[in-house]
Amino acid sequence: MSELLSNLLLGFQVASNPYNVLFCLIGALVGTLVGVLPGIGTVATIAMLLPITFGLPPVGALIMLAGIYYGAQYGGSTTSVLVNIPGEATSVVTCLDGHQMARQGRAGAALSIAAIGSFFAGCVSTVLVAALGGPLTSLALLFGPAEYFSLMVLGLIFAVVLAKGSVLKAIAMVLTGLLLSMVGSDLETGAGRMTFDVAELADGIGFTNIALGLFGFAEIIRNLELPAESREIVKAKVTGLMPTRKDLIDSSGAIARGTVLGSILGILPGGGAVIASFAAYTFVKRIANVPSRFGNGAIQGGAAPESANNAAAQTAFIPLLTLGIPPNAVMALMVGAMTIHGIVPGPQVMTKQPELFWGMIASMWLGNLMLVIINLPLVGVWVTLLRVPYRLLYPAIVVFCCIGIYSINNSPTDVVISALFGVIGFWLVKHDFEPAPLLLGFVLGPLMEENLRRAMLIARGDATVFFTRPISGTLLAIAIFLLLLAALPMIRKRREEVFVE
Amino acid sequence: MPEDVNPSQKGPRIGFSVRGPRDFWGGIVLIALAILAIWASRDLPGQRGFAFGPGTAPRLFSGLLAFIGAAVAAGGLFVEGPPIEKYKIRGPLLVIISILLFAALIRPFGLVVASYVVFIVSILGSTEMRWIESVIAAAVMTLFCVLLFVYLLNLPFQLWPQSNAPTILWNQTADIVKNTLLMFQKAPPRP
Repeated sequence: MSELLSNLLLGFQVASNPYNVLFCLIGALVGTLVGVLPGIGTVATIAMLLPITFGLPPVGALIMLAGIYYGAQYGGSTTSVLVNIPGEATSVVTCLDGHQMARQGRAGAALSIAAIGSFFAGCVSTVLVAALGGPLTSLALLFGPAEYFSLMVLGLIFAVVLAKGSVLKAIAMVLTGLLLSMVGSDLETGAGRMTFDVAELADGIGFTNIALGLFGFAEIIRNLELPAESREIVKAKVTGLMPTRKDLIDSSGAIARGTVLGSILGILPGGGAVIASFAAYTFVKRIANVPSRFGNGAIQGGAAPESANNAAAQTAFIPLLTLGIPPNAVMALMVGAMTIHGIVPGPQVMTKQPELFWGMIASMWLGNLMLVIINLPLVGVWVTLLRVPYRLLYPAIVVFCCIGIYSINNSPTDVVISALFGVIGFWLVKHDFEPAPLLLGFVLGPLMEENLRRAMLIARGDATVFFTRPISGTLLAIAIFLLLLAALPMIRKRREEVFVE
Repeated sequence: MPEDVNPSQKGPRIGFSVRGPRDFWGGIVLIALAILAIWASRDLPGQRGFAFGPGTAPRLFSGLLAFIGAAVAAGGLFVEGPPIEKYKIRGPLLVIISILLFAALIRPFGLVVASYVVFIVSILGSTEMRWIESVIAAAVMTLFCVLLFVYLLNLPFQLWPQSNAPTILWNQTADIVKNTLLMFQKAPPRP
């Protein structure tokens, strides 16, 4: 316990360094901005802002990116409530009841409860991250290459199973991502693989290129196909910011449940804030006394998903910081960011760079506090930004992205590659394929292949080693079980059913 | 979001009717991608004993992908699915062109010109664009980007066109065309 406290103290010392506080603030601001503006996703923003962080010290860069991440979650709830447009994928569920509350003139209460719920969830999950960091690290030492491989398979299966669309297509996307990750130089021999003799591909396809193309450009292209009126925003005057006593009491249960669900789902590979918000809403609705209130302005319907997605956002750092395994696409980008800064995420981060680890954890708490301070007064400002017509907004995004990509390597080829992936992402949407599993497969690909090869080498070509080693076998069994569960048509239909609600 | 259209609308007629065109063509493209990957890795050595070679994993996963792709395509053949929405040309094409223009222009012509041109070209993709506000907005955005990326973040960028800009542009384009053609010409040497 005292070790935990001293570690936290170290963390707070790092986090309260004025530069880091500044980075946290900038990250939280930018993240909220991103979350408020519909059409720019968290993944795209982090990908966009990655090149900017290259010049920053590693701790500062990661603190900023983390601030963007959960700031985006916060900002998304603002637009969801005010104008029924989810600024973020994680805020889709908040639209359901949050906006209804706004229509009944209670936008202030809805926004505040979302902020308070998120803050509470953030505090709890920060403690969890701090507490579970140590034990998880010693667990990590039990993991050999076979276990790592199976864990990654499990993670990818989670992403497949919990994704919205067809399981088969999600698997296909994961495989495509894995294949794309193999373009470049071979791990052991250095031979060029599938590079078509293009010099720029010798180091592989940059993941920023893929991420920005698939999520940024493709989203813009997609939005341009939609009719104009679906994007114009209506003026909204927000009054009465503070929730009543009754509101607080009513929503306390929902906040608690959302926090628990979010914390659990955030840790699991493949889980994440989106699933957490959706799961929390469904759960709270099912146990409610009067389920019909949901969808008509029940305050729990806004509190639960908001708490859940913030809790999940925090605990998503646990597998990242301790085991080095990204549980979702955003964390995958963080792995990329860490690698770029020369940090190898994994168990050694805790011991070799404690100020990084604990500094990040402390700054998460700080960030949560900052978000509450930023969001409540600034609601008016964010809404004004929404009034920028989309026809002027998207070209700005295009220019911004192009410059960002080019600045990574001063290479026009990178820009061309992301244009290509923009087209690919567009095609994927047209054919009901989800791009997120592809990105996850792409990031986990090199690690997966390395561990696969190593495990096979150690086991002298015996493929059953993945099943005979206990931890590895358990992980694979869970993966197969989940896959079967998702493949059953009944479950699949129910998943779609709940989503349509 | 895919609209739920009358399911009796069939996809492109290719002799027999495809019930779920999205899945069908999606699966076909996946199979094609797998074949491409196998072709691209054809010269990589495979497994030696129980050690994976560089080509093992690509071929392994390509095979899996082809299999899954076939399953998806088969699903598209027999299961009803919504038709593929029509592709709108203007918006997507102009945005892609603007991005490619950026890649072409950034080195010879510098950041200011490239940003401005890209803004204008991409805004042409919108059916609601108005010239006056676009011209002004482009200028504002360019200024903002220059301030942010060059002055605030100190990233190395060529701001203004180089003296022999058109020559550079021409050479650049010629290089790309040459390399693209080379790609398909000779097979990579065997290790």
